[in-house]
Amino acid sequence: MNKKSILNVYHPKLTAGIWLAGMLVICILGIQALTKDWLETGFLALLPTSEQQPEIAKATLQHNQLLNRKVIWLTGAATSQQAISHAQKLKQQLEQSKLFSKVVLEFPQQQYIKQYRQLFPYRYQLLDAQTRALLASNPDELIKQNLEILNSPIGQMQAADLEHDPALIFSRYFNAQNPIKLNLEQGIVVLSDQHRFWALLLTDLQDERLQLDKLEILSSLVNSATEQVKTAGGELLVSGMPLFTAHGAQSAKQEISTVGIGSSLGIIVLLWATFRSVRPLLLSSLAIGSGLLAALVICVLFFGKIHILTLVFGASLIGVADDYAQHFLCDSFGEKDWNPRKGLKFILPGLSLGLLSNLLSYAGLGFSPFPGLQEVALFSSMGLLVAWLTVVLLFPLLLTGFRFDHQPGILKLTTYWEQHWPLWVSKNRRWLGLMLTVFIAGGLWMLTPQDDVRLLQSPPAELLRTADKIRQLFPMTPDNQFFLVSGKDQADWHQNEQTLLKRLDAVKQQKALTAYEGLSSYWPDANRQQQNYRLLKHKLYDSGLLKRYMTDLGFDRTAAQAEYKQFAAAEHNTLTLPEWLAAADETKQQLWLGCEEGRCQSTVALTGISDAGALTALQDLPGVVWVDQVESVSSLFARYRIRASGLLLVAFCLASLGLGLKFGWRNSVTIMSVPVVSLAVSLAMLGWFGQLFSLFNLFALLLVLGIGVDYGLFFFMAGDRRASTSLGVTLSALTTLLAFGLLAISSTEIVHAFGFTVTAGIVTALLRAPLIGLKTISAKEH
Amino acid sequence: MILIKALLLYLLAFGQSVADEAVLTEIAARLAKTPITQGDFHQQKHLKVLHKPLISTGTFTYDQSKGVIWKTLTPVVSLLLVNESKLLTGQGEQAVPAAFGKVFKAMLGGDLKMLTDGFSVTGTDQKTSWQLELTPKDEMLKLIISTMVLSGDIELRDLEIREAGGNVTRISFDNITHPAQLTDEQKIDFERLSP
Repeated sequence: MNKKSILNVYHPKLTAGIWLAGMLVICILGIQALTKDWLETGFLALLPTSEQQPEIAKATLQHNQLLNRKVIWLTGAATSQQAISHAQKLKQQLEQSKLFSKVVLEFPQQQYIKQYRQLFPYRYQLLDAQTRALLASNPDELIKQNLEILNSPIGQMQAADLEHDPALIFSRYFNAQNPIKLNLEQGIVVLSDQHRFWALLLTDLQDERLQLDKLEILSSLVNSATEQVKTAGGELLVSGMPLFTAHGAQSAKQEISTVGIGSSLGIIVLLWATFRSVRPLLLSSLAIGSGLLAALVICVLFFGKIHILTLVFGASLIGVADDYAQHFLCDSFGEKDWNPRKGLKFILPGLSLGLLSNLLSYAGLGFSPFPGLQEVALFSSMGLLVAWLTVVLLFPLLLTGFRFDHQPGILKLTTYWEQHWPLWVSKNRRWLGLMLTVFIAGGLWMLTPQDDVRLLQSPPAELLRTADKIRQLFPMTPDNQFFLVSGKDQADWHQNEQTLLKRLDAVKQQKALTAYEGLSSYWPDANRQQQNYRLLKHKLYDSGLLKRYMTDLGFDRTAAQAEYKQFAAAEHNTLTLPEWLAAADETKQQLWLGCEEGRCQSTVALTGISDAGALTALQDLPGVVWVDQVESVSSLFARYRIRASGLLLVAFCLASLGLGLKFGWRNSVTIMSVPVVSLAVSLAMLGWFGQLFSLFNLFALLLVLGIGVDYGLFFFMAGDRRASTSLGVTLSALTTLLAFGLLAISSTEIVHAFGFTVTAGIVTALLRAPLIGLKTISAKEH
Repeated sequence: MILIKALLLYLLAFGQSVADEAVLTEIAARLAKTPITQGDFHQQKHLKVLHKPLISTGTFTYDQSKGVIWKTLTPVVSLLLVNESKLLTGQGEQAVPAAFGKVFKAMLGGDLKMLTDGFSVTGTDQKTSWQLELTPKDEMLKLIISTMVLSGDIELRDLEIREAGGNVTRISFDNITHPAQLTDEQKIDFERLSP
């Protein structure tokens, strides 16, 4: 029935017209879609967000926001003066680049003064934890410390504050806001290690979206600046999330061109060697080209943006999309008086089933929650569909009058191969079978899954070293992990965060982390502000301690009276959180998530975590959630690896069922044996070579399943055209191998794993598939 | 005092200063030169808001390679340790405060480049004594310090810091000696500065 309907619809000109119209539509849509900003490069875009609770997702987003744009620069030299002069030159250069919304070299003194003025009226309500403890237990010690500071040769700033802050209470609070002490020279932060002085420059990228061209400008800026500082005798260290992204994008771009050019060249050589004619080359290119174009356009239209890693996988599609064209072309060797009509009639069922099984495996990818994989799924299935349509709709017209009068060498080779390889295998099946079983069993035994999300990114060691070095010098960049603290109102939240901070202090004493930052340590809530005031009143003012201290120090009597008066007048002052936040810097503002629907939330940032275990133990505290993005995505990977295994099984059953219904159960088993052996060998290879085994390999196995079914089908349906089928399968396997083999050289761990898995699977499928139909051959030989 | 001597030599060598070269050479020639200097200090801080000066006394030790120990004995005992990059006080490790703290370290710790880059220097030299006046060039430093006056003979004897806000600090140094070795106590103190 199938054949009949095909004969009826065989109108090459009409179908070619439909194809042309379709491609025109895609081109028009493409012009619209691709003139916008359509390329995504950020690493986080690959990770799923839908699985997280919305409040955690929101907190994560806010936590990452600053981090994602921040680039840290350190210029090093033998003296601090030189380091500063390098930094000043660098600053100019960075400002000229127009890449950054903020280039900070000089410490923002004005902001500091402004903050001092804004908070000063509330000085009797604001106490840092240390001062509070000291006042409560031993106020005399506080006075002693004041004398120490004032008499010290470095007490200039405090001495200047003395006039309006006689007990230096506010000076203590204000200094405690910046827990990590930084040395300033000419208003510039200067850090030092044993060998060098380093001047610090902080920049924020203008655009959070990190477009590829901007990232390239950033990379070249880093390179040229490094060279310049070096020629001037200094050293430059640069780090920051955008740099990692830039590196990822750059290597992805390189891999796209390696895979793209590599597979294209391979295909050209193979096709030329086989057909020795320009027409097959052009036709194949047309099929691949329209497939890729349509895939890109549809993907961008559907997702809005497409990630650069998708394009890396997309480039490997060249090798797969070419299969359909090659099958059609190779079929022309199958018969003496071949014409496109006969050819299409013969190959269409195989091609269609092949397409179907491929689409099925890609659809599997689409069911994962990972945006990146969904893109790969849509990109690949659209690419294949359009390549298939091109072959089926357009090729009949363009192949009119196409025929060969030569016997390509490769045909002789594949014919010899398909005849002798099965016989050899059949003769040696006992020990071959045994070896295969041992090989597979051993490999599977050694297979250990790894679900670390960091494998998505494989930054070069150099970049990591620099980042480490900068973290040592300037330990102020918060880690990825943080605590989310909630409460039903501000007071409840404040109490919960205070409880957490107290515990964190203990953890810090144990050196499990170097620093933590929570709003509640700077902003006391209304209750605590009243407590602070009462504490001061009780211990310092009413006790007469302050009066004695001021008299001993040499203040005029009127000064003491004025101070007591001011204190009394300030009794009912309250500093609200919004007011406090308005005076705070960006990093602190970012900790606050706001109050809505009877819930107030903040994040507590952590720096220099060395023992995460000590921190996770704190999540049992009321209102405290431990957020570890890396860990949670990694565990998501693990869950989806198991789910994807199920998916693979379902796809396998569906394919078996479909084949069983069409060709009978026995034949279904025969055909399915190709993908089964391929999958097993592929997995075993991963085990033997200690390769990464994660979620992504399972998606690669889905492809192996699809391709394995293809090859099995082609041989099963070959009948008396085994020679041309063998040629077609070999050619398509070679081109696919080229594409995925090139993926295997990728520096990105998962791309490499993907390529390796598919390569191993296809080689096995190529070896296994010709064994189908072995009986008929043996029968002929005898 | 060795650091002043070195400072003067540095000024001469690089000719960045406006001071009369001959004067600086003469002053430099007079100063005693040893790697270790120690003595007593007497510090008076005249703060505008206080009607009497804050007076403190104690001892100091300067070691060319290790830094400075500033030990206040009255009115409260406290210890300040400082070297190239670190400052320890009774309150723990501190940032070297902007402006003045940096200058103090530079003077006692011999960070000559900092001083010569940051100040215009003028000097007078008489038969038995000399005087140098340092004026900051840096705008930010000017906000805090207007001038610093160093005076002495074969040693640095007096240091006066006039702050822009009107506060004045006078430090005089006495009983200056140049031992060949640090005492054990001094060694232990310096030990705390090493990372």
